[in-house]
Amino acid sequence: MANFWQKARTSGLILSIVAVLFSCVLIAQQGLQLGQDFTGGYVTEFQIVQDLTTQALEQHLTPYVEGEFKLANLGTLQWQLFQPPQDNLSQPLAWQTELPADLGLQILDSRYVGAQIGAELIEQGGLALFVSLLAVALYLIVRFEWRLALSASLALLHDVLLTVAFFVLIGMEFDLTVLAALLAIIGYSLNDSIIIGDKVRELVRAHPDNPVANTINQALASTLGRTIITSSTTLTTIAAIWWLGGASLHGFASALFVGIVLGTWSSIFVSATLPQWLGLSYDNYQQKLTDKELQQLAEP
Amino acid sequence: MFAKTPSTRSFWQVRLKRICVAAIILVLALCAMPNFYQNKTLLSISPVTNEQALPSNDLVKQVLEQHQFTVAQINSNDTTLVELSRQNYSASAQQLLAQTFGERASVKVIEQATAPFWLQKLGLSPIKLGLDLNGGVLFVLKVDTNKALEKRMENIALEAQAIRVKEQLHGVRIEQNTIQGLQLVATPQGKAGLEQLQNKLLKQYPHLDVQTQQQGNLTRATLSYTEAGQAEFDKQTMLQALTTLRSRIEELGITEAVTQRQGANYIRIELPGVQDPTAAKRIIGATAQLSFHALQDQGGKQVKAEYGTVNLNPLAIFSGADIDSAQAGRDEYGKPLVQLSLSPQGGNKMLHFSRDNVGKPMATLYSEYIADSNDEIQQSSKVISVATIQQVLGQKFSITNLDSWQKAQDLALLLRAGSLDAPLTIVTERTIGPSLGEQNISSGFQALALGLSLTLAFMLFWYRKLGFIACIALFANLICLIGLMSLLPGVVLTLPGIAGLVLTIGMAVDTNVIIFERIKEERKQGSSMTCALVRGYRQAQSSIVDANLTTMITAVVLMSIGYGPIKGFAITLALGIITSMFCGVVVSAQLSQWFYRLNSMTTKGVQHG
Repeated sequence: MANFWQKARTSGLILSIVAVLFSCVLIAQQGLQLGQDFTGGYVTEFQIVQDLTTQALEQHLTPYVEGEFKLANLGTLQWQLFQPPQDNLSQPLAWQTELPADLGLQILDSRYVGAQIGAELIEQGGLALFVSLLAVALYLIVRFEWRLALSASLALLHDVLLTVAFFVLIGMEFDLTVLAALLAIIGYSLNDSIIIGDKVRELVRAHPDNPVANTINQALASTLGRTIITSSTTLTTIAAIWWLGGASLHGFASALFVGIVLGTWSSIFVSATLPQWLGLSYDNYQQKLTDKELQQLAEP
Repeated sequence: MFAKTPSTRSFWQVRLKRICVAAIILVLALCAMPNFYQNKTLLSISPVTNEQALPSNDLVKQVLEQHQFTVAQINSNDTTLVELSRQNYSASAQQLLAQTFGERASVKVIEQATAPFWLQKLGLSPIKLGLDLNGGVLFVLKVDTNKALEKRMENIALEAQAIRVKEQLHGVRIEQNTIQGLQLVATPQGKAGLEQLQNKLLKQYPHLDVQTQQQGNLTRATLSYTEAGQAEFDKQTMLQALTTLRSRIEELGITEAVTQRQGANYIRIELPGVQDPTAAKRIIGATAQLSFHALQDQGGKQVKAEYGTVNLNPLAIFSGADIDSAQAGRDEYGKPLVQLSLSPQGGNKMLHFSRDNVGKPMATLYSEYIADSNDEIQQSSKVISVATIQQVLGQKFSITNLDSWQKAQDLALLLRAGSLDAPLTIVTERTIGPSLGEQNISSGFQALALGLSLTLAFMLFWYRKLGFIACIALFANLICLIGLMSLLPGVVLTLPGIAGLVLTIGMAVDTNVIIFERIKEERKQGSSMTCALVRGYRQAQSSIVDANLTTMITAVVLMSIGYGPIKGFAITLALGIITSMFCGVVVSAQLSQWFYRLNSMTTKGVQHG
């Protein structure tokens, strides 16, 4: 049985490494489809009374909308029109008032973002992602042994990278809420790694004679219940947001859902398995233990 | 005797702890209460001056209903209060009423709390709703501080020139004026004059820095802003922009607006309830400035006027900053004008100037920043009037010859609200319709209800008795979180914020799950229930703190970069972590001790009986 787990973990880790490499290639080749928050441009969400197909509505709109535009369906009778930033648009939003009355146009949300602020956001967002990864890694190094800390940090990187790759693969837009979701994933997916790491530490100290591989198996087995329950309650609530929260939260909910599934996976197959490859052993914890013992002995 | 003392102390400690926990939950529940009473949005119509009569209720109602607004309630006292049946449309109704009755009454959109009096008296209010839940207009403006600095350096050069002429400083030359600095060159004879000039300028502009160089027999002094001086200048420019924008928005009659600094160079303005951004945009983005100049026969600054061009003395007699109040009006021929009243200093300047120049012309220069076709911001100036000074002028006078009534009104408003030295550009603009806000609220809370009930059902099914405790703790968590959000100023609920709330609920059970799994393990190893409870809670604590701290780190990072909706999410997340740690560890520990002590007592009783 232990052997089976050992094998499963090793193959899971290899699978993750392959997936990370694949993601890197995918992101580098296709690039993210950045949302309006980052590229700038005009987005108009609106409602009409006629039930039209995308093509039919596009034909209706073409004479009125200046420059190029992209149309997307948000739900029954609700649409989104995106006008990328273009030069020489005199009145980019004039169509909102010029459209014939029989469409029954009602503007729900109209946004304009300058291209310049978008570029700043990309920089800031990337920086935030980097800073939080770094801060969390630092915390881990202080709190755990470096092998566990390194593995947990790599697991985080793995989660973020694969989630971004998922967005590239599906062709979903990457906007500001998705970035927020990525940061939340960093926080949450670490939970799993920490709980398992804590258990590993506890068991390694308690049973110094056991081979580390067995100890990790034991730690995983005893935390598996918690991992599954927490992940499933969280995923259920995220599914509720996805289903009922409206179109503007779809990207956010999708990112969180994928991120948490990946986080659960990586806490088992990356952050719990990698330390063993890096040579974690009882000796790594012995120093600390004797220190403590000495302290205890020194006390009257 | 000696053995008893610690046990009584711990008994009191336990009791004290229990009381504290209960008190915290009660206080937060009280804070959460006003959320059951959402604020009402009303239109308030009040007379401009005391003598003027208000339009009658029937007239107001008639005007509103002609434009498809349905009136739910209308009350008249000193001021008329109108409640619309669809309150989200209050802002557009305000515009309509202001247009109709603008000359005799001032119309404002106000918020009225509906909570019971004793709750209001405690100073408690419901959570503020963000724009995406309320509908409204958002602007993000970039403040071009570099342009303002350029302008400031230009002014310093003009000032230097004026001082040089006035004090008759020979042998001093003013050279090369850029944003990097102003260069003054002096011959050996002019050295004393140079120092005099320097000192005068330094006194007037305290953040300037001087560097003196000797080039042969010439002395070259460079006046420039140091990095710290520049930072101070930027800070002041931003502050001025913020204050000016705030008072402009106040002038527009929007009381619930949020105007805050975003990052180093941006200002974020949220106008809840407003539906038509054009009027607000015209006022907010305007950089109009007025200044008054003497005319010159030759040289100076050539500026376009109504007929041909005029030569102005580039140094203004006084500028918009000296204006105390401004009111639009009409002259005897019905042409629009703006009546100005100057501050005492401005009045003094005007007095001196007009006394020396009776019979000579004075020009009113109107300048504003306009983005040209290359998106470069340029200052465009125009002389709107050249008038002969008939008499000595004091603090009060008027600017005539304005194109339209609208222009006169806008100009008066801008002058009242204070001027802007830095040009503003709108980098983000968003209009959220009221129906989308309603839709967002209902979908957000549906998601919350579904997420909460599924989680509760699962915990009850899986852990039975312990699950019941988890459910109570979860409810306490939700109440605490809402209470905390209402209590803290500056917390705004947005749609991503509601998503954060839902997520917190999903994650909050984690704390309980970690503890309950520990307890199960302890039970398997043969401990008694009471013992397992104590050990379970104690051992799980370090893991719980670790796990939540890391999430907290990312929430804080998110809070520092995000604005608007994202900030809403980050705040809910951070507060959610605090409340779920409190409820998951402290509250549920109290609950389970209480629950199982009662239980064990009754079973003991049964066994004994």
